[in-house]
Amino acid sequence: MAKARALDRRRRSVRNIRKITRTMELIATARFKKAMDRSVAARDYTKQLVKILENIASVGADVVHPLLDVRPTKRAAVLVLSGNRGLCGGYNSNIVRQSVAILGQWRSEQVDTDVAVSGKRGISALKFRGIHMDERYTSFEDKPAFDAVMPIGRAYLEAYASGKIDRLDVVYTRFHSIARQEAVTEMLLPLKAPEIAGAVPGGAVPGGAASGTATTQLASQEYDFYPSAESILEEILPASFLSRLFKCFLDAAVSEQVARMVAMKAASENAAGLIKNLSRRYNRARQSQITGEIMEILGGVEALKQ
Amino acid sequence: MMAETTGSGAGNVSGVRCVIVTPELTSLDTRARFVTLPLFDGQRGVGRGHAPFIGRLGAGEVRITGEQGGPADAVRRVFVEGGFVEVGHDSVTVITQRAIPAEKIDLSQAREELDKIRGTVATGEEAIASKMQAEATAREVVRIAERSR
Repeated sequence: MAKARALDRRRRSVRNIRKITRTMELIATARFKKAMDRSVAARDYTKQLVKILENIASVGADVVHPLLDVRPTKRAAVLVLSGNRGLCGGYNSNIVRQSVAILGQWRSEQVDTDVAVSGKRGISALKFRGIHMDERYTSFEDKPAFDAVMPIGRAYLEAYASGKIDRLDVVYTRFHSIARQEAVTEMLLPLKAPEIAGAVPGGAVPGGAASGTATTQLASQEYDFYPSAESILEEILPASFLSRLFKCFLDAAVSEQVARMVAMKAASENAAGLIKNLSRRYNRARQSQITGEIMEILGGVEALKQ
Repeated sequence: MMAETTGSGAGNVSGVRCVIVTPELTSLDTRARFVTLPLFDGQRGVGRGHAPFIGRLGAGEVRITGEQGGPADAVRRVFVEGGFVEVGHDSVTVITQRAIPAEKIDLSQAREELDKIRGTVATGEEAIASKMQAEATAREVVRIAERSR
């Protein structure tokens, strides 16, 4: 009797877990959709910035700016974007692995690092590994706001301009598609000059990309600049850095939700399998218990006959 | 000439297309008769057929007059905090980090913000410059909020 009851109890608890993981899956799906919409809505801004940059480049303005200067790296900043919560598969561990790798690389090159980490999971994992963190953020969830990202970006811009840091790398999970996200280390500072020029084909949104480029190239000769192309460039580079940093946060948020969605789906399926297996064992145990009881009764009857 | 008359006569394609994009979303996409922009050194109006230009914006309000589907003299005001504008053929694209519709600005909050900035002490050239800029921006917000009441 005891065995069947124990199996039933386990089955009940697995059912409860399945309810939880199923709910989490649904929540993650809803959040993913919202995060994805935000990410798509944010593309317009980058697209417009690229368009202006393209126009400035085409009038032949000198692309010289402190943010484009490549200096020998003496002090590097690393920003790690992880999640505040677990139960999302390999999302956080991939990020931690990636950031440990880059920090190890800087250490082997004897470069001082300035580490900032967003997300409780990343903070505790790096603390466990004894890595000193200069900044910790735990306020970024599934809807990072530009107003919250801006001060962080401004601080990096200032540090870079004043020579406190010579490079900024961001470790985050890049979102390619629902089926593919990867933890990457991306250098955001110094801004890459060829990337600005090269950003045009990559930055252009599919659909009308080719025609759009063609028309802007034709039209670019006609544009006047107020006050001047150089002055606009000076303002637009920090803006484009901020928007790229913001995109990292958005990508990380979208990827986290996808990772959680996938992990919870797998957990729900696994729970369903467990329940099936436990049910089978429970039924067998119950049946054998009944058989045992019948045998006992029959045995008693036989004994009484004699 | 004939074609142009027919074009604007159709009503739906007259005026300029005005788009305001912020890093988070495209906050406005509409057609209007006339758009006034706060450039870095003063205001500038853009109507249909304006020569294309790219300009730097200061903090101030974008005024959109005669929006499609509304009265011809109705004005929509949006506060923008710097950024850029790209004026193309019959299109105005404002690219800014912050855009707030004037009617959504909380006047008392804006005044508080201005007082707070006034109360800070800035030392050093850079700090003074950034304080002055912040003060000018805050004053502009208050002014717009007062006007839209």
